[in-house]
Amino acid sequence: MPIICWIHGWAMHLDAGRHIGKDSWLVTGISILLFLGFLAAAGPFLVPHDPYDISFSPLRPPSADHWLGTNDGGMDILSELVFSLRNTVIFGVTAGTAGLVLGVVTGLFSAWAGGWTDQVVMRLADIVLAIPSVMVLILVAAFFQPSPVVLALVLAGLAWPTTARGVRAQALALKNSLHIKAAQRMGGSGRYIIARHLMPELFPLYLINFAAKTRMAVFMEASLAFLGLFDPGEKSLGLMISYALQYYYLDIWSNWLMPPIMLLSLLIMGTTFVTISLEKMFDPRLRKTV
Amino acid sequence: MRIRGKNWSTPALVYLAAALIMAYASFRLPQLLPGDFVTAMYAGSDVTLNAEQAAELRAFYQDTQGFPGYLRNLATLDWGYSHAFMAPVSQLFLQALPWTLLLMGTAHVLSTLLGFVLGVEAAWRRGSLMEKAGVGIMTVLEGVPEICSGVLLLLVFALSLGWFPAAGAQMAYADHTFGQWIADVLHHLALPLATLFLAYLPGNFLLARAGMVMVLERFFVVAARAKGLPPLRIRYAHAARNALLPMVTRFGLRFAFMITGALVVETIFSYPGLGTLLFNAIALRDLPLVQGIVLFSSIMVLVINLGMEYAYNLLDPRVGHAS
Amino acid sequence: MTTQIKDLTVSYQDHDHALLALDRLDLVLQPGKITALVGESGSGKTTLGKALMGILPENARAEGSISLGSAQILGLDEPSMNQLRWSQVAMVFQNGAASLNPVHCLIDQVAEPLVQKGIVRTKAMTAARDLLGRMGIDADQAGRYPHELSGGQVQRGLLAMSLILDPPVLVLDEPTAALDAMTKLFIAQVIRDLKSAGKTILLITHDLDLARNLADAIAVLYLGRIMEYLPGTDLVDRPCHPYTLALVRAFPFMDGMRDLGGIRGDAFYRMVHAHARENGRTHAHVHVAAPDAVHQGGHAPPQGCLFQPRCTQAVAACSIGDIDFTPCDTHQVRCIRGGIARILSFEKVAKSFGRVKALAPTDLTLMAGEVFCLVGETGSGKSTLAAIAAGAVVPDQGRRIFQDRDMDTWMKTDFASLAPKIGMIYQNPAESVSHRFTVFDIVAEPLRIQKPVPDPETMRARVLAALADVRLSTAPEFLKRYPHELNMGAIQRVCIARALVHAPDLLIADEPTSALDPSVQAKVLKMLLGLQIEKGLTLLFVTHDVGLARKVADRIGVMARGTIMETGPAARIINHPKQTCTKMLINSARGMSSQSLASIPDYEKENICRF
Repeated sequence: MPIICWIHGWAMHLDAGRHIGKDSWLVTGISILLFLGFLAAAGPFLVPHDPYDISFSPLRPPSADHWLGTNDGGMDILSELVFSLRNTVIFGVTAGTAGLVLGVVTGLFSAWAGGWTDQVVMRLADIVLAIPSVMVLILVAAFFQPSPVVLALVLAGLAWPTTARGVRAQALALKNSLHIKAAQRMGGSGRYIIARHLMPELFPLYLINFAAKTRMAVFMEASLAFLGLFDPGEKSLGLMISYALQYYYLDIWSNWLMPPIMLLSLLIMGTTFVTISLEKMFDPRLRKTV
Repeated sequence: MRIRGKNWSTPALVYLAAALIMAYASFRLPQLLPGDFVTAMYAGSDVTLNAEQAAELRAFYQDTQGFPGYLRNLATLDWGYSHAFMAPVSQLFLQALPWTLLLMGTAHVLSTLLGFVLGVEAAWRRGSLMEKAGVGIMTVLEGVPEICSGVLLLLVFALSLGWFPAAGAQMAYADHTFGQWIADVLHHLALPLATLFLAYLPGNFLLARAGMVMVLERFFVVAARAKGLPPLRIRYAHAARNALLPMVTRFGLRFAFMITGALVVETIFSYPGLGTLLFNAIALRDLPLVQGIVLFSSIMVLVINLGMEYAYNLLDPRVGHAS
Repeated sequence: MTTQIKDLTVSYQDHDHALLALDRLDLVLQPGKITALVGESGSGKTTLGKALMGILPENARAEGSISLGSAQILGLDEPSMNQLRWSQVAMVFQNGAASLNPVHCLIDQVAEPLVQKGIVRTKAMTAARDLLGRMGIDADQAGRYPHELSGGQVQRGLLAMSLILDPPVLVLDEPTAALDAMTKLFIAQVIRDLKSAGKTILLITHDLDLARNLADAIAVLYLGRIMEYLPGTDLVDRPCHPYTLALVRAFPFMDGMRDLGGIRGDAFYRMVHAHARENGRTHAHVHVAAPDAVHQGGHAPPQGCLFQPRCTQAVAACSIGDIDFTPCDTHQVRCIRGGIARILSFEKVAKSFGRVKALAPTDLTLMAGEVFCLVGETGSGKSTLAAIAAGAVVPDQGRRIFQDRDMDTWMKTDFASLAPKIGMIYQNPAESVSHRFTVFDIVAEPLRIQKPVPDPETMRARVLAALADVRLSTAPEFLKRYPHELNMGAIQRVCIARALVHAPDLLIADEPTSALDPSVQAKVLKMLLGLQIEKGLTLLFVTHDVGLARKVADRIGVMARGTIMETGPAARIINHPKQTCTKMLINSARGMSSQSLASIPDYEKENICRF
C-alpha cells in the first residue's frame, strides 16, 4: 500500500517533469549518477580480476591485462577501483535512505502527535543536530571498527534531524488543510490520512533530503577511509587515494592516483548538481533566477 | 532568559546537553570494548604497557571516580596519556591546536568574505555573463571534494613544480628572524589554505547569491533607491545585510563538511595540526589520544555553533518573537 | 516651483506585448497646493508617483516630459536623478512596512538620508527624533524595528522619513489606506499643515472622502487617461464626468445617502501590441483587454473614449477619434458630450385639468445616468410631472427637451422613435397589465407595437432576456401564466421587464412599490437599482416616502403645491434642507417619536405648503 502511495505521489509530480528536462545541471547530474550507478552495480561482474588477488607483480604500469596497472600489493587497480566505487555508493545510499526514513518517520510522528511529544522530539533533534557527526563517526570507527554498513547506519542516526525538521514543518502546515480535515470527518484513520494525504505531499522533501544526505555520506566515507578509519580489507576510493599518495615519487599518478580522484569527484559532483537543482526546482522563489 | 526579547538560554542548554552526551560517550566508550579495555585500547598498536602505565590508564577511566570525576579531570586538562607518543594528551592537543586554528580560521574568514562579496555582486548583476559564469564555476567547484583538490594541488604545485613545500607548517630547525619565520609559515600555509579556501568558497558564494536574489525582490530595496541613497549603500547596508541571515542559519549544517575537509587536508599536506595528529593516532591505534582529540574538537565545534546562534539572534531583530 | 507633466506615456514591457499604464498624461501640480489623483487600481496612479521619483522598474518605457522646476526628470542620468531624489521630491509609499528595511530600526532609516548627505550623525539623529516626535512617535518607539510597530506608527514614520530633507514636492501614495479613523484624521491634519508650509503635494488615493477634504484640485484617472480635472470641493456635489459620478456613487461617504452602486462592466488593462506591417514598419495599436486575453492579430483597434463601454450616456460619436479636454463649469472634462449630459429638461411646464391646477410652471432637469426622486405629498403634482415626462400627457405650456431634441416636435413627427426610449412603471401593477395577456404577451407587447416588428425568434430572445434581467423564470410554463396566477411582486417585475424590453434610456417609475409588501418592496427595489446601474439607465422615481427616496436617490426634488420647491443632492436635502416645506416633510417623515404632536407647526397658520 505505501508503495502505491509513493508511485501515486511521484505521478503527481510528473508535471514538474517539464522543468526537469530544462535544467541542464539536473540532467548532467543524473546522467553522471546513472553512469556511476551502472558502474557500481555491474562493474564488479565485468572486471577481469578479483581485486583481492595479490598474485600479480606490484606497481606495474598499465597494460593490456591490467588496464590501470597494479598497486603496491599487486592487486589490479581497475578491479579495485570498481569495487571501491561500489562500496562508496553502497555506503552513501544506505546512509541516505536510512537517514531519510528515520527523519521522515520521526518528523511525521512528531507533527501528528503534537503537544508534549512534539516538543520532546524536537528538543532531541536539536541535541542530536548539535553533536558533530563526523566526530562520533571517528570515535565509533576507531574503537569498534564496524563494517561500513553499520557505520552508515550510525551516520543516518546522526543525520535525521534536518529531515525531521523539514518534514515536521510541512506536515504541521498540511495538517490544517481542508482536504485532510474533510478526510478526517469522513472517518479516515490516522494511518490512512498519513499514507494517502500527507506522504505524497512531502515528495519534494524526500528527493532533496535523499540527495543531500547521500552526498554528505559519500563525502564522509571517502574522508574517513582516507584517514584510515576503515578496515583496510574493505576497498574504498578514499583508501586508494591514501595509499597511492604514499607512492607519489613513483610515476603512478596517472594510473593509480587520478582514477579514484576522478571517480570520487564525479560522484560528488553528480550528487551536488542533483541536490542544487532539486532545491532550486522546488523552491519557486529561486526558480526564475537561473 | 530573555534579553531584548530574545531567548538566550535555550540554545545554551541544548549545546550543553550535547556536550555532556559527548563527554559521557567518551567516558563510557572504552568500557564497551570487548574484554579488558586497557589491553584493548592498544590492541592494534605496537605499544605495550607495563603494569604501572596500565594502572594509570585504568585509574583515568576508573568507574569509582565516576562521571563527575571524569569531568573534573577534563576541566583541569588531565586528559590522559598517550603511550604511542609518550606525552600527555593535553600537551599534544594544545601543540597542534594553533596550527589548525590558523589554517581553518584563515580559510574560513577569507572564503566567507570573498564568497559573500562575490555572491552579492553576482546577484546584483543577475542575468549577466559574469553571474552565469560565476554560478557555473562555483557549482562545479562545489562538487570537487577536498581530498581531490588537495591531492591535485599537492601534485601540481608541490611535487611537480616545487613552488610550495609538500609538508609541514614551518621549516624544521631553521634559524629564522621573526619576519623570515612569518614568511616561512605563510609559505607552508599556502597550499592547504588554498585547498580549504576552494572547498569553502563555492558554498558561501551560492548561499550569498541565493539569499541576495531573494532580498533584491523585496520592496524596501526600491524604497531605498527612492531615498536617493548611493547604490553601494543600498547594495550592502540594505540588501546584503538581509542576505546575511540565511548564510548564518545554514552555517551549522555545513560545519560537518568543513571539519571533515580540514582533517583530510591537513593529512594530505602533513600539516601539523589536529588532523595529522588524529591521523597518526589512528594509524598507531592510540585510542586515548583519538578520544581526547575528538572530544575536545567536538566541544570547540559546539562552542562555535553556539556562537553562531547568538550571532544570528543579534543580526535578526525579528528572531525571538515567533516561537 | 511648478511640477509639470506633459504628454507622459508609460508602458511596461513583457515579452511580446506591453501594458499601457499612462497615456499622454498632462498634469500640472500647482505649487503650494494639494492635487489629488483618484482612480481605481490599474488606472496608473502609482506609476505616476514612481515616474516622478525616477524609480520606474527595468521593463518600463516612458515618453514625454516631467519637469521639476527647471529640471527634466525623464531621461536624466542616474547620478543626477539621485541628487534630486528625496531632496527635491520625496514619496511615501503604498505598502507601508514593506518600504522599511526589517533589520534597521526606524530612527536609523529616518536619519539615513541626512547622514548620506554629509550631516554629522548626532545632528541627523536629533533632527530625525524631532521630526518623528512631531508625527507623534516618541523616542522609545523610534528605536524599534519595523515589525514591532503598528500600521499607524509605520505610516507616520514613513511620513517623517519623507520630510527629513525638506523636499518642496511630496508624493503621498495611499497615505491612509488600512488605517483607523483616528490615525486618518491625524495624518490628514499633518498633510494640511504641510500644505500651509508651502509644499506641493500629489495625493494619490482611492479614498474619495480624503480627496474631497484635502485636495485643492482632483484629477480623475481611468485606464491611464485623465477623465476630469475639478476643484476638490465639487467632487461630490457637481461631478461633470459620468465616471466621476459613478465613482462618487460607489464610495461609502459618511454623509452619503444612497446605497452603494458599482459601475457596470469591468475595467481591464490596456495592452499595446506591435504588429509588423507590409512595408516593414511596426505598428503599435492599443486596445483594452484582460491581461491574459489571447490576442488575435489584425483587427482594427477601438478608438474613442475609454469609458464608453461602461458609460451611461454613450452615443455613436463616442467611439470615434481622440477626445480632448473641454471645459464644463470650472472643470475640465474629457467627454465628447461635454460632461454629464442632460437627458431631460423642462422649462416652465404647467398643466391644468379643467379648473384644477395640477402643475404650476415648473423647471426640471434630469442628468443622464442618475436616479432622481420626486417626493411630495399626494396631490403635489408629481404624478402629473412624471406623466408629462413620459410623454403620456401634453402640457399646456412650457418646453420639454429630451436628449437635446424638442419633445413636442419629436412626438408629432416621429413618435415611434421616441417611445422606445422611455419606459414607464406604474403604481398599480395588476391594473397596468391586461388580464387576458400571458406573461409572454405582456413583455412582448412593446415589441409588437413598434414597427418594424421583429421576427418570432428575436422577439422570444428579447423577452426571455428581459425576464432574466428581472430574475423571473424563463420556463415555458411560466411564460403561459396569467397575471391572476402571480403575486403582486412578480407582476411588478413583469412590468419592469416590459418597460426594459426596448432598452430605454429613461425609466420613469411612479410609486412602483407602494402597493407591495415591505419585504417584496425591498427585493424589487434592489433589483431595480441593480438594473439601473447595469443598463446605465436614468431613473425618475416618484414617491411620497422620504425614507425610500433617501435610500434610492442621487438627487431629490421636493414637490409641493404643484411645483418643485427644492432640488439638490440627496445628502444635502436630507441633512440640510433649506425650504420650510422640505424641513416639514423630512421631520414628519422621521417619525412621531422624534417630536411630540404639539410641536408640529399648525398647518392652518403656516399654509405655505398647503396643497
